[in-house]
Amino acid sequence: MWQFLSKIKSWWYLVKQLTQVEIVGLYKKSFLGMAWMFILPILAVVIWVVLNGAGVVNPGETDIPYPAYVLLSTSIWGFFLEAYKSTSNLLTKNGRMLIMSEVPFEPLLMQKVVVHLINFIIPFVVNIIVLLAFGVRFSTVALLFPFSLFPLLLLGMATGMVVAIFRIIMVDIANLVDEGMKLLMFLTPIVYTPKITTSWLQTIVEYNPLTYLIGFSRDLLTSGTFYMPVQYAVFTFVSLLLFIVAFRFLMKSSPIVLERLINN
Amino acid sequence: MKVTLSLIKKQTMPELILEVQDLSKKFCRRLKRSLYYGITDVARQTLGLSPQLELRPEEFWAVNNVSFEVIAGDIIAVIGANGSGKTTLMRMIAGIYQSNSGKIRYRQGLKVTPIFALNVGLRNEFTGLENIKLKASIFGMTEQELKEKLDFIIDFSELEYALKTPVGNYSSGMRARLSYSVAIATEPDLFIIDEALAVGDSLFKAKCYEHLGEYVKERERAVLYVTNRIRKVMALANRVIVMRKGEIIRDSPDAGEALEFYINDIVGDNMTDNLKEMKLEKIRHFEM
Repeated sequence: MWQFLSKIKSWWYLVKQLTQVEIVGLYKKSFLGMAWMFILPILAVVIWVVLNGAGVVNPGETDIPYPAYVLLSTSIWGFFLEAYKSTSNLLTKNGRMLIMSEVPFEPLLMQKVVVHLINFIIPFVVNIIVLLAFGVRFSTVALLFPFSLFPLLLLGMATGMVVAIFRIIMVDIANLVDEGMKLLMFLTPIVYTPKITTSWLQTIVEYNPLTYLIGFSRDLLTSGTFYMPVQYAVFTFVSLLLFIVAFRFLMKSSPIVLERLINN
Repeated sequence: MKVTLSLIKKQTMPELILEVQDLSKKFCRRLKRSLYYGITDVARQTLGLSPQLELRPEEFWAVNNVSFEVIAGDIIAVIGANGSGKTTLMRMIAGIYQSNSGKIRYRQGLKVTPIFALNVGLRNEFTGLENIKLKASIFGMTEQELKEKLDFIIDFSELEYALKTPVGNYSSGMRARLSYSVAIATEPDLFIIDEALAVGDSLFKAKCYEHLGEYVKERERAVLYVTNRIRKVMALANRVIVMRKGEIIRDSPDAGEALEFYINDIVGDNMTDNLKEMKLEKIRHFEM
């Protein structure tokens, strides 16, 4: 861990530069520029309001208005998914840099985390405004919300770090996990509530760690309550453990797989 | 033999910059088999088993039992036909590839800057100045170091007039000037250049040769560069390493002699007599 922190410290200017390039570069050719960071979450809300109004979706009973529920849940899910996506593409997307220069993977991993947090925070502020507009009121406990997301970040990155290796040497596994993530969204109470009645889905939801990791953060923010705290604590510990193992796996395996990045 | 990277103590051997001992690296010819070996190697490592050092089917030694030393003041041209292992050797010295066996010993605190492709990290939609910052960070410079070196980079690259232009509108020569100037500003003790001076205008290249010659004299520094161009070897090198099939077959302080050997014994068979004679004449009567 000290080695990781020391590498981040010595390559901090690279982390800063790459973060700036990625954030600014995304909107550099757009006339609306960084306004897209606000437009996209607003569009997401509009879509769910329209779908709900048309009666297309039947989510089950929710404590807060359905569009607000979905907006918040998808936002937290997106936090997990983006952590996975950006980490799992770490070696392939930066392959040329990794095999043509001395840059190690650690600052690139750190940069992905920083970009991920920035990309999450701005739309999330919009979401909070929308939630207020829907009549959701926040208690002081809601201030713990950012910390409650930490296990999701660890779990997303842990899965991503393992898949990053497979994306080079066994792309079939990477493709399967990518597709599995789409399925996982529907097996997690995001667009519906955990109080669903379908028995087989109920069983999957009960064993799905994301039910507790996402539900805990969501309830913390919207009602100031702790959703299934024991399960949340257990899966937080499991996520931390997986992160440590996956980081070690990436660190040890990346030299073996990087030389096989022949498309760079 | 397990790969080890160790340090040469500066106090005892001040002139020795780098020592390569029995270095080997293997690759696989077939893509799918290479990926399969990747899976087994990762699995072996995860299970704590030692790596397989012997050649497996379709594998070959890209670098085979290579040993040499780099002394301060050396400007070494590494020449050899395509696939002779030049780039693989450079990447191992730069710490990008892990070797399968052998040792690389670096002088204590040695700063190495490798350039394998000048365009790495450049972003077309960003300006020249923004790309200087980006490139400097890729070469490991800090913000403060860049601040101190920015004027040098702009002067050396001769790109002051184009600093606000997107790099996408730069010619290949301008890109090379930008990247090379940032690389040299890192002031490495060992500068590794792999075909990076193949592009760019001839005046800028001449300036680089002159600069590198002066550069190694200033302090205890050395340059390792990969090329197959007679002019670049004759103009710059004070030592030439010739590689064939992953092995060093000549290490000579006489650039002309090494080049003649290379043309007569290695690539000559693939040339017409006229072309071969023309190249030998170019070496014998080389003028800057």
